[in-house]
Amino acid sequence: MKHLTEEELVEYYYKDAASPGIEHHLRECDACAEAYTSLRQDLASIKLPAVPTRDASYGEQVWQSLRSSLPVYEKQKRRWLHINLLQGLSYAAACIVLIVAAFFAGRQWEHRQRPGVQSAANNQPTQPIILVVLGDHLDRSERLLVELNHANDAGAVMPVKAEAQDLLSANRLYRESAARAGDEQLSAALDRLERVLVEIVNEPEGSSPAQLARLQKEMNTDGLLFEVRVLRSRIPDQQKRSVVRTKGVSI
Amino acid sequence: MEENDHTIVRAVLAGDKEAYGGLVARHSQSIFRVAFRITGDEADADEVVQEAFLRGYQRLESFESRSQFGTWIYRIAVNCALNMMTKRKIEATHRITEDADPSRLQVQVADSAADPERLLMSREIESMHQAAMQSLTATEQTAFVLRHMEERSTEEIAAALNIAPNAAKQAVFRAVQKLRRSLAPLRANA
Repeated sequence: MKHLTEEELVEYYYKDAASPGIEHHLRECDACAEAYTSLRQDLASIKLPAVPTRDASYGEQVWQSLRSSLPVYEKQKRRWLHINLLQGLSYAAACIVLIVAAFFAGRQWEHRQRPGVQSAANNQPTQPIILVVLGDHLDRSERLLVELNHANDAGAVMPVKAEAQDLLSANRLYRESAARAGDEQLSAALDRLERVLVEIVNEPEGSSPAQLARLQKEMNTDGLLFEVRVLRSRIPDQQKRSVVRTKGVSI
Repeated sequence: MEENDHTIVRAVLAGDKEAYGGLVARHSQSIFRVAFRITGDEADADEVVQEAFLRGYQRLESFESRSQFGTWIYRIAVNCALNMMTKRKIEATHRITEDADPSRLQVQVADSAADPERLLMSREIESMHQAAMQSLTATEQTAFVLRHMEERSTEEIAAALNIAPNAAKQAVFRAVQKLRRSLAPLRANA
């Protein structure tokens, strides 16, 4: 049989271990019962000095001895002020955060809603300039093609040669720009115009009316003229749209 | 109608210092009792009572209204008494180290020889009990007093001493063990 330890007996004495198993063991085991009796006697015999009595005025005496050294509590009030101040600051900070968040959210939302606006705005400094200058170039090209279409003799080609020479170098730049910008229609039209301009520039002095008719036919100057007019008609619209999108930042 | 402790605490915190006098009057007797049982000295117990109420006043803002003021100030008092005990034990250690003269202790016991035999016996037993209590550490002594005299539960002792319940139980057990060992000669004589 396993005997109870002293610790278990102490716990049982102070009712820290309310175990029916211990009670049963103490009834069964004489050694443990004897040890428990001894413990009880020892603890019961412990005598400490009796607590001196203090009369009813003791509390008053203690209070009087303390009273002068205690400050009056005003902290409650200050604490409330402190809390109010903290709360006010918190609310202000929260409002600022909300306003800033709303501002940025609005900006993000606007950008997501109109992705074209961003690209138009980004291109805004260069695109209108290109369009205006290209419009001028197409104007001049149109006039040149009209003159060429109405030329009845080879002598009429000569005045437009200088103009064609001038337009040719500019046309190359516009064509490359249009190709880089991915505007295939404009790029193709400018490419055809370039070929006509090259032919005009390279047309030998004193060309016959037959040669002129061949040039008009091969180059399909009528079709090219129509194409240039279509392109020209596109430009004012694009300019208008870009002005609207960029909200007054156009040139 | 008598104001309850919570109402008084609120009044004190609102600036009514005099209201605290009511709390002192209401709880000073029980605080003195536990202070005396732990310190074993009347003057020290008075000092503990004053310090406990002073600390209580200073920390009144941290008093949570869901607990009882009596329990709260009791814990503060136990802590003050424990500090007092620790201080006294340190002072006693220094004194013993400074003039460790065993014959002096014998003289002190012999001083009471003038009393009648029975009174002498009684005082001797009391003196042995006190000596046995003094052999305990401050924590053991406080835990034992709270358990044995004040009949506080292990949880209450643990809360008062700021230790874990198991540590409080162990402190009580070690105290009982040491006391039994110290008082064994008395049992043999009986």
